[in-house]
Amino acid sequence: MSMFLSNKQERFLPYLLIAPTVAVLFTLSIYPLFYAIKTSFQTGDDLHFSLGNFTRLFSDGFFFSALAHTFVFASLALTLEFLIGLSLALLLDSKLRGKNVFRALLLVPMMLPPVVVGVIWRLMFNSDFGAINGTLKSFGFDTTNLTWLASSKLAFLSIIVVDVWQWTPFVFLILLAGLQAIPNEPYEAALIDGSSPWQTFKNITLPLLKPAILIALLLRTMDLLRVFDSIFILTEGGPGNATETISLYIYRTAFRFGDFGYATAMSFVLLILTNIISAMYIRFLQKQEKA
Amino acid sequence: MKAQSSKFKVQSSILRYALVFAALIVALVPVYWAITISLKTESDQFSVPPLWFSFKPTLTHYRDAFLERGFGNYFLTSLIVSLSSTALALTLGTFTAYALARFRLRYKLGSRLSMWILSTRMFPPIVTAVPLFLLMRDLRLLDTSLALIITYTAFNLPFVVWMMRGFFLELPKELEEAAMMDGDSRLGALFRIILPLVTPGLAATAVFCLIISWNELLFALILSQTDNAMTLPVGIAGRVTQYEIKWGVMSAAGVAAMLPILIFAMSVQRYLVRGLSLGAVKG
Repeated sequence: MSMFLSNKQERFLPYLLIAPTVAVLFTLSIYPLFYAIKTSFQTGDDLHFSLGNFTRLFSDGFFFSALAHTFVFASLALTLEFLIGLSLALLLDSKLRGKNVFRALLLVPMMLPPVVVGVIWRLMFNSDFGAINGTLKSFGFDTTNLTWLASSKLAFLSIIVVDVWQWTPFVFLILLAGLQAIPNEPYEAALIDGSSPWQTFKNITLPLLKPAILIALLLRTMDLLRVFDSIFILTEGGPGNATETISLYIYRTAFRFGDFGYATAMSFVLLILTNIISAMYIRFLQKQEKA
Repeated sequence: MKAQSSKFKVQSSILRYALVFAALIVALVPVYWAITISLKTESDQFSVPPLWFSFKPTLTHYRDAFLERGFGNYFLTSLIVSLSSTALALTLGTFTAYALARFRLRYKLGSRLSMWILSTRMFPPIVTAVPLFLLMRDLRLLDTSLALIITYTAFNLPFVVWMMRGFFLELPKELEEAAMMDGDSRLGALFRIILPLVTPGLAATAVFCLIISWNELLFALILSQTDNAMTLPVGIAGRVTQYEIKWGVMSAAGVAAMLPILIFAMSVQRYLVRGLSLGAVKG
């Protein structure tokens, strides 16, 4: 290798190959970030430095309810996606005929454009003619109170159902890949030791699956905290603001009310939240690289 | 496991199949339902109980959506934007990935740059969306496909770099060194030896980029508000959130938006699963 390093071309080539990417990312990711910092310190048309947008955060009821919605939504959806995803992964890790076909079909919801997912579930949830209420009616159930997207509590439940429907396959896929990477030997040893299936799961599967679990949870958390698309289509944050998460409230502030300063101030709160998670994820990847 | 009696085995495998089928029904029935809506006449759409199988299929909604309501144009815009941004991100990102995987840079620049590139991918889109809107407005690029192509290229770049870096790291260095001994230049060896070996990885990465750009809503919603450069997701979102929804047109547009992605994703299943676990798990 050393004989190539002396070559002049070899010395400059890597920088030449890296520079365009760095330039693009700098212009379209880092520059907007600094621009946003500047905007967040301007209130209204006043171009002078002001902390107004940040102090306003503390007295804004909509902001706090958006935060609360985001956390409740994220924690409930994450729990369900993890539990169902893990069960499905364990199920398909066993000997099952046609397992590859099953896996491919189970991944379908994850591949769909979120907008289409929103459309599909608006059709499902429609309280008069939707597939859910229509089917319930045909079995004689009274569905007058099941106005899925129109009442606050049911609407919140609905957006969780839709997220779980679309993203459980993602958790399932990562955990399944993790399970299939576990070697056979520890299981054989456990069999000889005569440990029960539960003991085997607790002492072998779970510890060895930990990296995959961590990845699935971190990636999902990041996505859940910034959820936008499917809720935008399903409820637009309504009824009232019952399903309005931070991203939707920022969108409304910026593009309905034209208040870019306040919107960017809020987006920094979101950035800090997701950054905590992404920093954990990146540190985890760094550790894996060294190992 | 060997100790289990065969009767227990049969029972447990029946249970397992039942569970898998239940999961399949939950995953697929809503999609099937939406497809049938797109093929039903209006009176069939609103029948209670829902008609799952027995209805007379019609293609009127597709004709209506694509010829009368502009979805043909949205489809074309989506196609142009996805293909161009994927090609751009793949070209820029692959070279960068190769440099990061193969060269030893000073000051640990290699791993530092990799992590920085990844971290730009982690920004919540809404955080960059507001300033990006103002930037594109100042550049007079609002409502153009170009704005979307540029944005999606930047959005996909970190992903391409990380995916391809993983694939390059898997190949032994000796491959290029041998080619370079034989008189190839570094880039010659990359094109002649290395790129053909990572073609499956490139394909998987391309498919991921296509799916990401094709599905993207938020940036498109903000950067293109007129028919000039409206993508399929924005077109659908605009119609759906209007007061009255035309079920047939909506579902027809939805099916048209999901079919290319599904076919594409399924046709490269093998690489897709490998790609996702590689890109995410191994880094």
